[in-house]
Amino acid sequence: MKLLALESCNVTYGKAQALHSVSIEVAQGEVVSLIGRNGAGKSTILKTIIGLKQPVSGRRVWKGDDVTARLPNQLGRLGIGYVPEDRRIFDNLTVHENLRIATVMGRTGAWTETRIFEMFPVLLDRASQAGNTLSGGEQQMLAISRALLTNPELLLLDEPTEGLAPLIVDELVDSMRRINEEGMTLLLVEQNLRVPMKLAHRQYVVDNGTVQWSGTTADLLANREEIEKLISV
Amino acid sequence: MSIIVIGLSLSFLLFLLAAGLTLIFGMLGVINFAHGALYMLGAFVGYQIVHMTGSFWLGLLFAPLIVACVGALIEILALKQVYDRDHIFQLLLTFGFILVIDDATKMIWGFDYKQVPTPEIFMAPISMFGSQIPSYRLFVIGFGAAVSLALFLLLDRSKWGMIIRAASSDPEMAQTLGVNVNRVRTGVFALGAYLAALGGVVSAPLVPIELGMGFSVIIDCFVVVIIGGLGNIRGAILASLLLGMTRAAGYTYATEWVELLTFALLIGTLMFRPAGLFSTKGRSA
Ligand SMILES: Nc1ncnc2c1ncn2[C@@H]1O[C@H](COP(=O)(O)OP(=O)(O)OP(=O)(O)O)[C@@H](O)[C@H]1O
Ligand SMILES: [Mg+2]
Repeated sequence: MKLLALESCNVTYGKAQALHSVSIEVAQGEVVSLIGRNGAGKSTILKTIIGLKQPVSGRRVWKGDDVTARLPNQLGRLGIGYVPEDRRIFDNLTVHENLRIATVMGRTGAWTETRIFEMFPVLLDRASQAGNTLSGGEQQMLAISRALLTNPELLLLDEPTEGLAPLIVDELVDSMRRINEEGMTLLLVEQNLRVPMKLAHRQYVVDNGTVQWSGTTADLLANREEIEKLISV
Repeated sequence: MSIIVIGLSLSFLLFLLAAGLTLIFGMLGVINFAHGALYMLGAFVGYQIVHMTGSFWLGLLFAPLIVACVGALIEILALKQVYDRDHIFQLLLTFGFILVIDDATKMIWGFDYKQVPTPEIFMAPISMFGSQIPSYRLFVIGFGAAVSLALFLLLDRSKWGMIIRAASSDPEMAQTLGVNVNRVRTGVFALGAYLAALGGVVSAPLVPIELGMGFSVIIDCFVVVIIGGLGNIRGAILASLLLGMTRAAGYTYATEWVELLTFALLIGTLMFRPAGLFSTKGRSA
């Protein structure tokens, strides 16, 4: 089943156009990745999905319904979870409160604080610390946990592995795989192929605000050289 | 002794106003110039209720609620329309509401000053430590302390406080989690208006209720908020105590120096600790 689609979306920041007629589709249960170099428009695509950017033209479709006019809080309630690229931990809330606000505001479902603490025990150790006292990796775990606790059907992850040590990246990849195997759909943004090749079923290559290429991970392997050129700096 | 009582009662009154000002600044990013006008409106509405019902307590209960509704309307009908623009538009708008509220007050209550009698049970002074203390002042201290405590519990311990803090820190992120940030903004502005009006009603038996009363108080509040650190509510309570006690001591020992002392405190803070005397990194609502 088609879960989410952007249809021919044009998105601007003031006078500068960041996305040109972008169309993206994500089906239930998939892991899809958006890859591209700095400034390609990947984060803008995620912001358009969660409603932090409104397309000047084009549509946002959720399970077949046109949800272009909905606000971020409404889209969150529909079942879209968002892990932003700079993590955006609430710095005047404790670690535990950063999770609790998601529990309180979000939908109910399989994800509970108990499960989160099982998956990331370090968050339990740090529960009463201020959110901004965590290390980069811990903040990333917190940002992912916060999104999971809203019990979304689609989880948007903006460069979740950026700046993390290789060992932690491996752990995170394992966690994301498990989350997907339990039925959650993932849309993952990355600048390189390392993590997408391990996780994603399908790939979109974004450059200059347009989708330059899309296909399955097997297709991508077959065209690896061409793709590398599109995303290399 | 009476210096301490007057100082403390002044401090808590200041804090009721400064807390609202700080909350509104934290959430909306706007200094609400109309805060003093809402305080005055609280006093006038309180006067009206006392005048009609004969009960100070009904005034204390209902006047702040009425002013909170006025605050909510100001936010929804006016401020909300200019959030997308530069902050200066919002500042100008809150400034404009001083004039609107002043004129409305003039139209409804005229130019004469009004008085609210001290509630019956606080008429008699109490002897404490060998001096006669006006018992209404003691009530103001107790009531102010209770409201301050309730406010801290609301912000620090309750679900609503957590949502307000999150929405103040990163409104967009809070919104993606399902928080209706528009409604939080309205609620915070209404809460600020409520606290200002509460201050107005509590002050009513102590001061003449007149058009200028909001103006002198808002200046003191700005001093408190700047000394305490903009948006820092813990700082605001310490700064309220500092300013309240300074003023009380000043009135007793050196009346002509009070204003000078107040502004020396302000200028000193701005020069040496521009983030506020009590600024701390980390938790602040
Ligand atoms: N807040 C903003 N204001 C103005 N322009 C912006 C803003 N955010 C992004 N842009 C512009 O929009 C374009 C796409 O940016 P976007 O953040 O979507 O890229 P990205 O693919 O996520 O890049 P990165 O990999 O560096 O995160 C860029 O040209 C960028 O300069
Ligand atoms: Mg990005």
